[in-house]
Amino acid sequence: MDFEALKTDAQNAWDEFSRPGRPRVLIGAATCGRAAGALDVLEAFRTQLAEHGLEGEVALTEIGCIGLCYAEPLVEIAGPDGRRVLYQSVKPANVKMLVESHLIKCEPVTKKALAVMEGDALDGVPRFNELPVVAHQVRIVMRNCGVVDPTNIDHYLARGGYGGLSRALSMKPEDVIEEMIASGLRGRGGAGFPTGRKWSFARRAEGDEKYVICNADEGDPGAFMDRSVLEGDPHAMLEGLMIAGYAIGAKTGYVYIRAEYPLAIERLKIALARLKERGLLGSNILGTGFDFEIFIKKGAGAFVCGEETALIASIEGKRGMPRPRPPFPAQSGLFGKPTNINNVETLASVSAIMEKGADWYAKFGTEKSKGTKTFALAGKINHTGLIEVPMGIPLRTIIEEIGGGVPDGKAFKAVQTGGPSGGCIPAQHLDIPVDYEHLAEVGSIMGSGGMVVMDEESCMVDVARYFLSFTESESCGKCTPCRMGTQHLLQMLTDITEGRGRPEDIEKLKRVSEAVAQGSLCGLGQTSPNPVITTLRYFEDEYRAHIERHECPAGVCRELIEFEIDPEKCTGCGVCVVYCPVNAITGDKKQPHVIDTAACIECGSCRSVCRYEAVLVHGRSEPALAE
Amino acid sequence: MDMITLTIDGNQVTTEAGRTVLQAARSAGIDIPTICAHEDLPDYGACRMCVVEIDGVRGYPTSCTTPAAEGMVVRTQSPALTRLRNDVLELMLSGHPNSCLVCDDREACEAFRPGVTKAGRSTRCGFCSNRDGCMVRDLTHGCQPQELDLPTLYCGFMLERDDPFMVRDLNMCILCGRCWRICEKIHGQPALSITNRGRWAKIGAAFGKSFVDSGCTFCGACIDICPTGTLTDRYARWYGHSDVGWRTACQICPEGCEMQAMVKDNRLTNTQMTAFDREARLCAVGRFAYPQIMYSTRRLRHAMTRENGELIPADWEEAVQSVAGRLQDYKGGRFVAIVSEANTRENLFLYERFAVDVMGGRLGRVPADGGFEDIADEALKSDLQSGAIKAVLVAGDYLDEDVLEKLECVVVADCLPSAATTKADAILPAAILAEVEGTIRTADDEIRDLGKSIPAPGAAQPEWAIVRDLAIAMGGEGFECEAAGNITPAITDDPAPAPLGRSPRDVLKAIPARFRGHLMADSVPALEQIGLPASPKPPAPKLTTGFPILEKGEVVPNFYTLTVKAPAVARHAKPGQFIIVMVTETSERVPFTLVDWDAEAGTIKLVIEEVGRSSGEIATLQAGDMLAHVTGPLGLPLTIEKVGTVALGGGCYGIGAMYPLARAYKEAGNRVIAVVEACSSYTLYMENEMRDLCDEVITVTKDGSRGRKAGVQDVFADLARAGAADQLIAIGCTFMMKMVCDATRELGVPLQVALNPIMVDGTGMCGACRISVGGETKFACVDGPFFDGHQVDWDELASRRSAYKREEIEAIPQTGQHAGNGEATAGLTSLTVGGGVCAEVP
Repeated sequence: MDFEALKTDAQNAWDEFSRPGRPRVLIGAATCGRAAGALDVLEAFRTQLAEHGLEGEVALTEIGCIGLCYAEPLVEIAGPDGRRVLYQSVKPANVKMLVESHLIKCEPVTKKALAVMEGDALDGVPRFNELPVVAHQVRIVMRNCGVVDPTNIDHYLARGGYGGLSRALSMKPEDVIEEMIASGLRGRGGAGFPTGRKWSFARRAEGDEKYVICNADEGDPGAFMDRSVLEGDPHAMLEGLMIAGYAIGAKTGYVYIRAEYPLAIERLKIALARLKERGLLGSNILGTGFDFEIFIKKGAGAFVCGEETALIASIEGKRGMPRPRPPFPAQSGLFGKPTNINNVETLASVSAIMEKGADWYAKFGTEKSKGTKTFALAGKINHTGLIEVPMGIPLRTIIEEIGGGVPDGKAFKAVQTGGPSGGCIPAQHLDIPVDYEHLAEVGSIMGSGGMVVMDEESCMVDVARYFLSFTESESCGKCTPCRMGTQHLLQMLTDITEGRGRPEDIEKLKRVSEAVAQGSLCGLGQTSPNPVITTLRYFEDEYRAHIERHECPAGVCRELIEFEIDPEKCTGCGVCVVYCPVNAITGDKKQPHVIDTAACIECGSCRSVCRYEAVLVHGRSEPALAE
Repeated sequence: MDMITLTIDGNQVTTEAGRTVLQAARSAGIDIPTICAHEDLPDYGACRMCVVEIDGVRGYPTSCTTPAAEGMVVRTQSPALTRLRNDVLELMLSGHPNSCLVCDDREACEAFRPGVTKAGRSTRCGFCSNRDGCMVRDLTHGCQPQELDLPTLYCGFMLERDDPFMVRDLNMCILCGRCWRICEKIHGQPALSITNRGRWAKIGAAFGKSFVDSGCTFCGACIDICPTGTLTDRYARWYGHSDVGWRTACQICPEGCEMQAMVKDNRLTNTQMTAFDREARLCAVGRFAYPQIMYSTRRLRHAMTRENGELIPADWEEAVQSVAGRLQDYKGGRFVAIVSEANTRENLFLYERFAVDVMGGRLGRVPADGGFEDIADEALKSDLQSGAIKAVLVAGDYLDEDVLEKLECVVVADCLPSAATTKADAILPAAILAEVEGTIRTADDEIRDLGKSIPAPGAAQPEWAIVRDLAIAMGGEGFECEAAGNITPAITDDPAPAPLGRSPRDVLKAIPARFRGHLMADSVPALEQIGLPASPKPPAPKLTTGFPILEKGEVVPNFYTLTVKAPAVARHAKPGQFIIVMVTETSERVPFTLVDWDAEAGTIKLVIEEVGRSSGEIATLQAGDMLAHVTGPLGLPLTIEKVGTVALGGGCYGIGAMYPLARAYKEAGNRVIAVVEACSSYTLYMENEMRDLCDEVITVTKDGSRGRKAGVQDVFADLARAGAADQLIAIGCTFMMKMVCDATRELGVPLQVALNPIMVDGTGMCGACRISVGGETKFACVDGPFFDGHQVDWDELASRRSAYKREEIEAIPQTGQHAGNGEATAGLTSLTVGGGVCAEVP
């Protein structure tokens, strides 16, 4: 079947799926939705539709993640009138009402509605594109996420999918690379190396056999961009992988994906099967003589396997440990052959660029950082979730408008970008444009797109300690500076947060950080001190408070704080008593309660559940300073 | 070959294309420090010591992994590189016990005890079996990086004792990866790799499997390429570095692999591969069995003849004449000689000439891994079974009792006892393996020279010499020769030995079970662990009565605390006294100081440092196990009086030992200062107990990681000079006590020390613990253990303590499981010698 015929069939399927007047229910059932209970909601819809005899009439479809994690589970309902409404935080108990009201009576349930996706306006409910969280976004990588059925290749095809591949196959590989260079796309895995140039190295390398690899070993704590794309729109990446393969002259592609992403793996497997059925994978693709196979390789969860040389070793069946470059994978990679590695987001951009052209893509972003970037917003922020924004957008816009600011009226303190390899950016730099250069200037990195927001109740020493505990335990152990240096950094940070810091530790942290950054073999080690370096750069006072006064200004470090209940504010509601894991809180009903500081483990549960801000935190009167 | 030219430190260096910057630099005589790089291994880049600066390259690339390129400009020295290397080295040292490297007393210590002290887990260089070959130590010479002032992060891995041939102390590993890389290079798929991540990263077999099940063939390459004391050869580890070596060939099986004989003080320590490549690999017995067979305590050492039904030692000439006389009667078809093919060509040649030309009989050749049934000559076998043959010269364990029964004359030329030796009319002890010179022919029909030899035990002679002497005594002609080399030219058409089915170098199961008909596992107990048969052994006696261990724990690496039920000892114990322990009914007697006791509960407490066989045995016991004997309290209690201020100093086991003294002095109304000494913070213990007890506790460490960077002697000298102590007491290793003595000799404060010589009975009978104090001979067990430190002859004590060094090492069990009863025990169990040697105990 030729490509046009494929597209015609696909268009028919898509038209049927999105035909106005055809009632349907879409449920965001990616991993994030499922964690929030989407599968129970799905089951509830199934039951309700059956009870009302609608199972034949209303299409019930699982879709990917649209990015609004804070509002999960998300359900989009289209009634017979063609109006489509997005509902938030849907619980199984809400389903009966939604079915009866919206699907049967065509009366949308305004109080659960988040936005109107299509059709007539609804009082008090904004249109989807007008939501502050959506308004600033430009969705290229996530163009289909939460919109299509990820298991249905026709949906992808109908929305322009594989048009990029088809176009690429009609061009010379060198011209495809030129197009990629012209688009200005830079690797989204972290380092930001120009994708087209990377391809040209692998293209020029001599070898009878070459490989392309999709790096889907997303490991930064708090980052889930790749997972969402693979779960919501696997073809966007697969098409990019095939284009990359064609451009460099590879016949085999690997998707290296962590085994902790079972749903993404399942979706990928389905996608590969569909591609084969349509003749879009295998030999002589689209009659062009291009042969290509894709294999899925599951990683076992080592963070370092996201580093390209470690990833290659892992695919080869060896222990995932980085090796020094040169030689670069483009010269000698998988099984010693020229190899190109791109991450999921890069490849999902590639397919869009080849479909719509380099000029179109280059319109987004800044001069040196083109296109869009996805970020996983997490931490102390109202709209946690996945966003895609044009490069160069002010950091403030992301935090305050898209993210909706810090919850509970607390003050913004810093945002960590780039995961454990990145650094924290304090409030005074909130107005920088988000692109590779500016992030580097303030000491952080773009990284793969994790963004963890911290508020006034976050202790920056503790944050550094947390990230170091991650890199310390994820260090592969091969090279000395990373293996030993991260242990020492972690030890010192732990000592400081537990009140055993010494004044010389600050200088020592800097010296050890420098040795680790300069001496380590791979990116994991070289960047591992970044959280220490940036928190020291912007929050040295906080370190000094821990060391010199044994105080944790944010009230986080357990060894340095005590909790106390303000009798003026306490209403005696007793909620804290329920949440206290060690029964340290006592008091009569409706009377001010007290905390037994000897029994208290300073977990902070009482403070977080108190609605009256009656739980006070202050420094210890006699810090337990064990030598 | 393409050549390229680059600039290194301003010098034009021309080298072959494809070499690394490190190789190019070395070819030009420019040294760059490194540990993980090895000329026989592929690039790795892990230790990060060989960093350089290259124009146009960002950061500090490692020279071992960077290909040299035309026109490249490299700097190997700069202030930034020195600083980075020092920092990296300091980081490396912080994960490797290193207190000896930074200790102020290092030179004096190494002069006083030039050899290393054996230990379970090594906590510092002085207790590391590879001290003299350690590359980490070499790197620190000339630079003592302490800029970062990092604590040592001791990993706390348990000593891996279960391996058949190796002991692994992963606490010393710097993860240079040499071991698994050589394993991969030689065997394709490595049997070991780095496992785990971060601080728990360590080398090991997949999924924590035993190496026996990991595909490991025990070639030993990982041990020989390890730059630290992490991987060691269980048998050879404490012998120290070899001083002589030569190329030889293995005589155990017909593969006849080339190998390097490693010799120290005229004794073989081990045999190693001749190069780090696949072709040179050895099998487990090639790498590990030689010295254990050669130094088996069962070796035949004396010529013996049977007189009036009894085998009695005879001098060589006498024995030869006696045998010659006996054999005269059996010339002709009634005589055979039976020898193993695993023998030198010279030996085989003379055996054949003797059997055929002199005796007119036949020669039976037994394949290397064979027994009687494998003799190819069927007629010869049936003649032996039928009794047609009346006399044999047998060079191995080949004849069973049925056959022996029918013989009238049995002459044995062999190295180990067998059924034939019990029946023998005469025994002529044979030199074997590295004790013989000559040549061998391999199954592949190659001739290999054995190189040099070392002396055989006792009267043992090479077999060619045995046969020569017999032949000459019986009138044989043309047997005169002075060396194996005299015989070699005459050998022209000797047959190649029968090959083995599979190579033991590739398949563990193909390792021959027998050497000269003897089960090798009887001499090399580790072979039983890999499935080779051994002779049945009597089961180890199970203790039914004794002294139960109530609690046991490793308080700091290599130091164990034991609480033992011993009511009578607990009832009578006084401060300063000790006990003698026997772990089993046949164990060595070892003295240990009483650290604490509870007369009411009937318990005593000990602190035991693992050093050798007996303390190792105790280290592997668990709560609930039993000690066969606890004898005590022994020795004179320390006289405790009110003297004012008493300073007690203890190191190692001495920290525990000074505890009851501190308590007694305190109870007597003294002000008590305790000086607690350890090499590093991670070997300090009982600090809090001492703090609860004493008026003042001064902590000193040799690396400065806790308290003052000093030794007990420094604190004592300061106290004495300041008039702040009226009595000094030191308990610890001999070196520490000697240092204290030297430092305080002129300062006028009395010093008592607890001496720790070798001790056996502990009751003044044997004299083993003889020492000289003030020119008088004393026995530490009944006159001590406390003496006036300034009167002690320390050099004599040190010399007497090391009198049985070799035997102590040989007594360490050679099986992974501390089962006892291995043959290595036989030399020492009953003993007169090794008592108390193991433990640094008063």
